[in-house]
Amino acid sequence: MSNTESKTYWRSLEDLSRNEAYKDYINREFPEGAGELSDGYSRRNFLQIMGASVALAGLAACRKPVQKLLPYHKQPENVVAGIPLYYASALPFQDYGVGVVVTTNEGRPTKIEGNEDHPGSRGATNVFQQASILDLYDVNRSRAVRHNGEESSWNDFVAFCSSHFADRNKNIAFISEANGSPTYNRLKAEILGRFPNARWATYEPFGAANQLAGSEITFGSKLRPHYHFDKADVVISLDFDFLNIAPNDVENSMSYADRRRVQSTSDEMNRLYIVEPGLSQTGSNADHRLRIKAGDMAAFTAALASRLSSGVSGLEAFSGVNNEFSQHSWVSVLAQELLSNRGNSILAAGNSYSPEVHATVAAINAAVGNAGSTVEYLNVPFLDDSYNPDSLRNVARDVRNGTIDTLIIVGGNPVYNAPADLEFATVMQQASTTIHLASHIDETSKLAQWHVNRAHFLEFWGDAHSYTGELSVIQPVIRPLFGGKSEIEFLAAILHGENHEGYDLVRESWRNVLTSEFDNSWNEVVHDGIYRQTRFSSGNTGLSSGFNSSMRSWLTSVQGSSSSDIELIFKADNRIYDGRYANNGWLQEFPDPVTKITWDNVAAMSPAMAASIGVRERSFGETTYDLVTITSGGTELTMPAWIVPGHADNSITVTVGYGRQNIGASADDIGHNSYILRTYDNQLAVPSVTVARNGRSYPIACTQNHHQMEDRPLVREATLEEYRAKPDFAPAMVYTPGRRPEDGKPKNLFNDQMFPPHQPQWGMAIDLNACTGCGVCTIACQAENNIPVIGKREVERNREMHWIRVDRYFQGDKENPKVVHQPIPCMHCEQAPCELVCPVAATTHSDDGLNQMTYNQCIGTRYCSNNCPYKVRRFNFFNYAKNWLEIDEDPDIIQMAMNPDVSVRFRGVMEKCTYCVQRINRAKIARKNETGNSIKPVDGAVKTACQQACPSQAITFGDITDQESVISRTKSNERNYLLIEELNIRPRTSYLGKLRNPNTELV
Amino acid sequence: MSSNSGYVEEAPLVKGNHTFSSITALVADIVEKPTPFWWYIAFGISNLLLGLLFAMLGYLIWEGTGVWGLNNTVAWGWAIINFVWWVGIGHAGTLISAVLFLFRQGWRTAINRFAEAMTIFAVMCAGIFPAVHVGRIWVIYWVFPLPNQMQMWPNFNSPLLWDVFAVSTYFTVSLLFWYVGLIPDLATLRDRVKNKLAAKIYGIFALGWTGGNRQWQHYEKSYMILAGIATPLVLSVHTIVSFDFAVSIIPGWHTTIFPPYFVAGAIFSGFAMVMTLMIIARKIYGLEDIMTIDHIEKMNIIILVTGWMVGFAYIMEFFIAWYSGVEYEKFAFVNRAIGPYAWAYWIMMSCNVIAPNFFWFKKMRRSIPVSFVLSIVVNIGMWFERFVITVTSLAQDFLPGSWAYYSPTWVDVLTYVGTFGLFFSNFLLFLRFLPMIAIAEVKMVMPQADPHYYDEDGNEPKKSDQINEPNIKA
Repeated sequence: MSNTESKTYWRSLEDLSRNEAYKDYINREFPEGAGELSDGYSRRNFLQIMGASVALAGLAACRKPVQKLLPYHKQPENVVAGIPLYYASALPFQDYGVGVVVTTNEGRPTKIEGNEDHPGSRGATNVFQQASILDLYDVNRSRAVRHNGEESSWNDFVAFCSSHFADRNKNIAFISEANGSPTYNRLKAEILGRFPNARWATYEPFGAANQLAGSEITFGSKLRPHYHFDKADVVISLDFDFLNIAPNDVENSMSYADRRRVQSTSDEMNRLYIVEPGLSQTGSNADHRLRIKAGDMAAFTAALASRLSSGVSGLEAFSGVNNEFSQHSWVSVLAQELLSNRGNSILAAGNSYSPEVHATVAAINAAVGNAGSTVEYLNVPFLDDSYNPDSLRNVARDVRNGTIDTLIIVGGNPVYNAPADLEFATVMQQASTTIHLASHIDETSKLAQWHVNRAHFLEFWGDAHSYTGELSVIQPVIRPLFGGKSEIEFLAAILHGENHEGYDLVRESWRNVLTSEFDNSWNEVVHDGIYRQTRFSSGNTGLSSGFNSSMRSWLTSVQGSSSSDIELIFKADNRIYDGRYANNGWLQEFPDPVTKITWDNVAAMSPAMAASIGVRERSFGETTYDLVTITSGGTELTMPAWIVPGHADNSITVTVGYGRQNIGASADDIGHNSYILRTYDNQLAVPSVTVARNGRSYPIACTQNHHQMEDRPLVREATLEEYRAKPDFAPAMVYTPGRRPEDGKPKNLFNDQMFPPHQPQWGMAIDLNACTGCGVCTIACQAENNIPVIGKREVERNREMHWIRVDRYFQGDKENPKVVHQPIPCMHCEQAPCELVCPVAATTHSDDGLNQMTYNQCIGTRYCSNNCPYKVRRFNFFNYAKNWLEIDEDPDIIQMAMNPDVSVRFRGVMEKCTYCVQRINRAKIARKNETGNSIKPVDGAVKTACQQACPSQAITFGDITDQESVISRTKSNERNYLLIEELNIRPRTSYLGKLRNPNTELV
Repeated sequence: MSSNSGYVEEAPLVKGNHTFSSITALVADIVEKPTPFWWYIAFGISNLLLGLLFAMLGYLIWEGTGVWGLNNTVAWGWAIINFVWWVGIGHAGTLISAVLFLFRQGWRTAINRFAEAMTIFAVMCAGIFPAVHVGRIWVIYWVFPLPNQMQMWPNFNSPLLWDVFAVSTYFTVSLLFWYVGLIPDLATLRDRVKNKLAAKIYGIFALGWTGGNRQWQHYEKSYMILAGIATPLVLSVHTIVSFDFAVSIIPGWHTTIFPPYFVAGAIFSGFAMVMTLMIIARKIYGLEDIMTIDHIEKMNIIILVTGWMVGFAYIMEFFIAWYSGVEYEKFAFVNRAIGPYAWAYWIMMSCNVIAPNFFWFKKMRRSIPVSFVLSIVVNIGMWFERFVITVTSLAQDFLPGSWAYYSPTWVDVLTYVGTFGLFFSNFLLFLRFLPMIAIAEVKMVMPQADPHYYDEDGNEPKKSDQINEPNIKA
């Protein structure tokens, strides 16, 4: 990658011919919200349609347009057309980075996978990481530096910096996102050193500030907890969604699942307790789940600490605490578990809970010996005072007081997501100079005098600490598409008043890290994507001297919430987090792991709560839901109500990030902005709101319409005890009426297909005990297989295009349901019912056992889909790919995200999971090249996209004819079963039965 | 003849003491007289609906199948329902003309031309749907086994492919049968019409028919052969249509009772449609002497019988679902009766199983208004039968996680409405330009055509209006 300055990335030749239109476009302040994602028709083309109806001669227009490619005239170095290149990099998220490997095809990054050498990834990813490739190709990203709303340039900005910041005594305030980059933090320190009157606030709407403040109370310094779930027999989560959107979730899922991947009856398994108000994805996996209001969590934690204080030392501050949870059965059970699993248990609380709750949790972990064994408290060098919970409020106060003249916002979007009572929009107007670095012209940028367009992490040089401190270099894999700048280049311009390249800045930082043979070591780090020697050290987990007194003073105020008050809880969204991914179509259309809602946020509440305010439960087929108005402090928020079984009563959970305007095609006018009720003191939850049904209803696109299994043996589960008593509980659950055991396997009426012995036979197994239902398989598949985004309206019509979906069922009573997740890809049945009924033989079986779909031959009768018992086939009802890939005036951009090995499907054809046939064939070709005759790739050479991304490694895939392969061994597990086996369609995808590890005292 | 002999004479098939020439005049005058004003209005409306159909199809083909209410789970909806419904209606024609012909049911002559025309137009309406419901209509010819350089060949295991052949064969044979039956009457019109151009056109299609002995001999043989060919088709078409469902593995579709049940249902709805049209036509054109109340009664009996066959199938499906012990099957059927689509199921049951029971009563059987209303009710019921089968089975199949509710869009509805435009435009043209009653065949069942015209005592038979209605005492 050369580091020369370039304004925009190269474009297609077509740009030459339409340059005027293009310039016109980039000069417009706000990209047009392309509201036509979904509906394939509009008034605009109505006349065309009517014309066509008169003369069907227009049929010729339906033909697929033919475009011809030309090969390289001269072969570029290191590029073989059709062979992707892979680069290690790191994906920064808040104050840590995760190692990734980026696939690029002819210079276009097309896929992100986890870096197996990186401890925060181990080869896996989460949904945000998978979807971040699409953010690169977001056409609505800001394309220029802007000054007072007019297009400006980076050079102008640098010139402005050199004059404006020449005065070292300027009163500057910085507001930044959490950032774990060594270079960034070096520049931050230099800036704070250069400008003595500068102050810095780090603000994340869902950051770790409270947790850090808690550890400061307990241990005297800001320590970051690193959980070793693989070492814990008992995990107790206090509303800590560690499998999903909590920090370091990929590693968490991986190590948690390590203790669920039971191979035989002698294996042990961990036990997960969760106490939470709403039903989180982690909560849906719990062996035991207690629903309490968020407002009760402090009292619950205190009661737990109090109960423990008699058994262990270090919790004396809590002795004698008596509140409404002191006699709760869960308190005694959890205390018992912690005491009998000293050093082998984990207690953790959700980041938004108060510092004192975190302090208590940390003290308990220290007291029962978990600190240092299962919970490692790490010294993180860059967690300075700017990470204090009140830093943002102090900056806002200073600006209001007029003591700040220049407000610099490094990423983040405080006008949108800062606590509402800070009234950040007016704060912005009170500073005389405001500068904002942002990827989009967002709410904050619109009010800032200077807007600097930010580059995507695939476009810049940078570096990042992993969650546990290992370093990675972020290397760009493409030149900035829109000339964006990284935050380190931005800070360097402020610091030095001149342009510094990110490459130089990063290398300068690394000269302190790699002290010998810099160039060689640098190349090695950049290549590997990881430098392990910088792991954070463990902090001192001795109780601080002030701990007891601060806890005692806190405990006097701790009480449970009034049970009749309705609390409103704010959560980061499972799909768009705090709103930062709002313009990501994949994530907007990704079904929430718990509710299965797409394209919206909802007010989640329990069935009883819903009944009390007159919200009606929707019957099958209804797609509109009651709107409720939530009022707090005179501010009203109107949102659709959504009934979530297992939610705490008198409690409402809303997620944030929605209700955007003029951000981009996928973000605009989607959902409702719940930040307007989130105030400084109530960032976790507003303790008392009023809520009423407002009489109107609202359409919601939910991908699952029925939530019970109807007593069908779909997800087969047993307790660990039952499994040990009957290891084959899962396959034994098949019921075929009239068949006796001696009849053996069902017979086939037709001749079985002969699979040639020289071919591998592909099969997949999904361990439902490891699967946590996070849904990253869905997004990984979407990224790998060029699956289009179809929009809310089409999803509402149940036409979602995902090739692998995750079914989620509730069992048991509505108040405390058991939840199961089941990923459903194409099963590649050997006796595939879809193949029989296609009149044109467009879906057939391959010699290596794949049920293949020949798009070119498909005429679209949809008979195959009807006859598929798993309903995994997806039909292009409209020209989804075209609508998606030409979403904007600038279609070349998003088209760059497409995987060249996978056909983009045309209107009117069926599609479905292929077991990633492009990866299979690549491996078969490679194997043939290596051996000369074998086309059986070695075990593990083929990983499907879903398998590769899965952070709990629930999916195994491989050649079932190879008895030594992982898949063969997995399928020989006693828990292995086939879904709807009695149809005798012989699916190649099987499941491993789910296990639960309940505590007999709570059953 | 003594009055207490107990011999009950058959009611005459043609009433009103018609002679051969008056019959000819009665039917042929309709074609020869100036076009009545109402016809223009009816034709205009039908054409508007036909235009609507083309508009909807154009819109569909331009935009994609997504303009319909289909989804991932329910991938067949109104299009397939309408297809099966129209094909079912198209059953009566061939049944009446071929099967009843082979069984020597003379009463068929009053309605066979009419019913055959209806058949052809109904099959045309039906044929639209399998064609346009595919995603890529521009390559639909791939369903035909046409040798090609792409080495593509249809999948002969697929019931949809059988459908293509079954329906197209049925249409071809029905058309041929209809046309062969028309030849003598076309010749009659050729000889009667004043307009030279019309005479020319009728003449071309009459194929030089002169009514000669030898021509009649050939004609009757070929008619018999065609009837023989058409008869198995009556059974095969709807059998194969039912295979579209029965061959699949979806609970509620995967049912061996489907072939006979579908055929019975098709006859049921076909007769009902003939009844609807006939009651209007005989009134407007004053054909009560030929399409007599006795005809209506006979047809009502067939509707009653086939209605109960269908009803039996409905009940049998439930029994088998329970008896099989298959959970999914049980669920599918219980869910039809009490699930989210129960309204459709109970419309079907009321219209198809309960409503025809009025025909147990002779008074009802011979009541024109009752027959008319019930004939429409039956066809509503039969449409819902196909809806229940197609949609409820798909919407809630094996995995509850993929269940999805189906509801149609305005395009679905208007396309269906538009097919009536196609049907009635054709039918009105038929009424206007072709003899709607098989003149020659009706004459064959009149007493005058009987070589034993005189009774055993050498008397002329009674005039038809002298014979009392059959009065069979129980």
